[in-house]
Amino acid sequence: MWQNIKTLFSGKPSREVAKGRLHLVLAHDRTGLDGGRLQEMRKEIAAVIARYVEIDAEAVDIQIETRNRETQLTVSSAIQARSTT
Amino acid sequence: MGRAIVITSGKGGVGKTTTTANLGTALAQLGHSVVLVDADIGLRNLDVVMGLENRIVFHSVDVIRGKCTLQKALIKDRRLDNLWMLPASQTDDKDSMTPDDMRKLVTELKNTHDYVLIDCPAGIEQGFKNAIAGADEAIVVATPEVSSIRDADRVVGLLAQADVSARLIVNRISPQLVKKGDMLSQADVIEILALEMLGAVPLDDQIIATTNKGIPAVLEPGKSLAAKELLRIAKLIAGHEVEDRQPVGFFARIGRALGLSATAA
Repeated sequence: MWQNIKTLFSGKPSREVAKGRLHLVLAHDRTGLDGGRLQEMRKEIAAVIARYVEIDAEAVDIQIETRNRETQLTVSSAIQARSTT
Repeated sequence: MGRAIVITSGKGGVGKTTTTANLGTALAQLGHSVVLVDADIGLRNLDVVMGLENRIVFHSVDVIRGKCTLQKALIKDRRLDNLWMLPASQTDDKDSMTPDDMRKLVTELKNTHDYVLIDCPAGIEQGFKNAIAGADEAIVVATPEVSSIRDADRVVGLLAQADVSARLIVNRISPQLVKKGDMLSQADVIEILALEMLGAVPLDDQIIATTNKGIPAVLEPGKSLAAKELLRIAKLIAGHEVEDRQPVGFFARIGRALGLSATAA
């Protein structure tokens, strides 16, 4: 009960925040990809997608996350329209 | 032929040396012959945690340099019949030993003892490489904190590369903080590191007091919570039977005594 009230005011419990941060940090550590390299890859992937469909290249999102020592790469992008070319 | 187990963590200050001292002492209490090896050349501390600092004459670097035999460098713990320690040199540095030197020392010790517990230095450089060289298996100690778990994960990766299997001890866990949502639980740590877990040692003031005195907590009568868990882990390592349940609170115990098995696994 008190926990719920506390969470209501301060957002997530710090334990959940720590977990989320660790999943992210470990994914980067395990793949050896730092933020800069990841952004480079994001831009290249966005350019490839843009060749097929119309997208907002800036809104392409890239994420790496680990669960059970498996690292997953997720790229997500909203498609605006069929490509005109 | 004995088993060589390295106790490692990546990060310093998480309780490697205290864990090594207590697991070794507990294994000796269980009737096994044990030798504790301090692999932290230049920053040795296993001697003071064990309370054996005044008895060091020779150390592992002396053995490697041929100044004395391995048997001569071993210090016998007078509190137990079958517990020994091989101290590290405090005046040399990590480069005064190679992984091959270590492998030779550990192999020789395995011939005469059931367990060789190696206290690994912090870090992942030369000292770490030496410490894991002779090990058959590893115990990774991590506290439930982001920095400790991150470093532990790095070490787990390096151990896997070296083909050393690893199990986990979560150290200094506070059930109250976990309940409040302000500390990662042992389940969280297992999920993140994906390692087999040996146990979770609770945060315990008495460990500080026993370390001050140079007495491993498992030797003290009226064992503290941490000492009980360390003893349970030692039994698990040695393949003795252990109660698979974590320590249960007072009310849960009463509940169980009354037949209210609300805590059933």
